[in-house]
Amino acid sequence: MAIQTILVINKSGGLVYQRDFVPNAPRLSSNEYLILAGTLQGIVAIASQITPKSLQLAGKSSAKGGNEPMGSNSAPLVPYMGTLGATTASGAPLGSFLGPDYFNDAFASWNGRGLKHVTTEQNSLFVYHTLTGIKFVAVSTQPTTNAMAVAVAENLLRKTYCLYADYVMKNPFYEAEMPIKCELFDQHLGALVGQL
Amino acid sequence: MALYSFWIFDRHCNCIFDREWTLKTNPSSGTTNSKLNEDTAKLLYGMVFSLRSISQKLGSKDSFNEIKTIATAKYRAHILCTASGLWFILLSDLKQEDLSQVLRYLYSEIYVKTVVYNWLSPVDFAESANEKRGQGFRKIRNRQFLLAVEQFLGPMVN
Repeated sequence: MAIQTILVINKSGGLVYQRDFVPNAPRLSSNEYLILAGTLQGIVAIASQITPKSLQLAGKSSAKGGNEPMGSNSAPLVPYMGTLGATTASGAPLGSFLGPDYFNDAFASWNGRGLKHVTTEQNSLFVYHTLTGIKFVAVSTQPTTNAMAVAVAENLLRKTYCLYADYVMKNPFYEAEMPIKCELFDQHLGALVGQL
Repeated sequence: MALYSFWIFDRHCNCIFDREWTLKTNPSSGTTNSKLNEDTAKLLYGMVFSLRSISQKLGSKDSFNEIKTIATAKYRAHILCTASGLWFILLSDLKQEDLSQVLRYLYSEIYVKTVVYNWLSPVDFAESANEKRGQGFRKIRNRQFLLAVEQFLGPMVN
C-alpha cells in the first residue's frame, strides 16, 4: 500500500496543503483539489446525518440504561501500530515530541460519527479528524477495507498532525487557516511517508 | 452480521426502494418504502454521488474508478452501480468488509428476475418525461420482489 496523496483541510473546508507522493499518479489541477476538499468537508457532515435508525435507537437505550458511557470522549481507541515513522536515531531533535517515535500508546479517535474511510476500485481514502476541526486525508493506491490498514492510516495521519503541530504551527511566518508553505514540514512529511 | 438498511436508486436520482430494519433482533421490524425516509434517501444519494465524482477524478484516466464502500465510525455503506444507472446500497456494521457479492446477487437474481422480467412492472420508474430529478415518488411495490428481498436479507439482519 503506497500513499498517493496527503491533503490537509482546515476547519472551514479549505484545502491548505496537498502533496503527491507517487510520480505517475493521475494529476488533478489545483482547482480540482480545492473542490475535492470542499466536497469532503460536506460529506463528513452528511455521513453523520444518515446514521441508521437502529444504531440511533441502540445508542439511546444504552445511554438510558447506563451500561456503557456514550459520548465523544468514549470514542474507541485506535491501536498503536509498530514503528511507523520511527526515523530519528536517538539524540536527534524531534520537535517537542520526546522519545524515538511521536507516540507509543493507543489513542482515542475524535471522529465518533463522521466519514472515516472510502474505498473505490483503485484507491482507498482515509480521513483523520482532529478535535480542532482540521482534517488530514490520505489517498492510497490500493483498495482495502481491512481494519488493520485503517488503523495504520490513522496512525500515519496522527503523526502527520504531530508534524503539523511542530513545523507549521510553530512557524512564525505561518498564518493560521492559510495554505501551508513550510519547508521543514515538507521534508519531515516526505521522510515519514518514505518509511511506510 | 448486521444489516441496517437497503436502498435502490434509479437513473433519475429517485429512491425506488428502501428497506430499513430498526431492531437487530427482529428481522421483520422496520419500514419498507416509507415516505419518512425520503430526506435520508436524498442525503445518502448526495453523499454517494459526490464521493463517486471524487473517485472518478482520483483514478486513472482510462478506466472508470467505481466507488465500492464508504465507512464512517459507526456503519459502512456498500455500493453497486450498474451500467444502466441503478444504484444498490446496503448499510451494514463495520465488521462486514465486502458485501459486493450480496449486492450482485440482489441485482442479478432478485431485481432482474422479479422486476425486470415482470411485464406489469414499469420499465422506468419516472412518472413522465419532464419529471424533475429527485421528484419521483414511484416505488417498487412488486410482491415477489418484496418477498424475495425479505427472504434473502432477513437472515442476515441480526
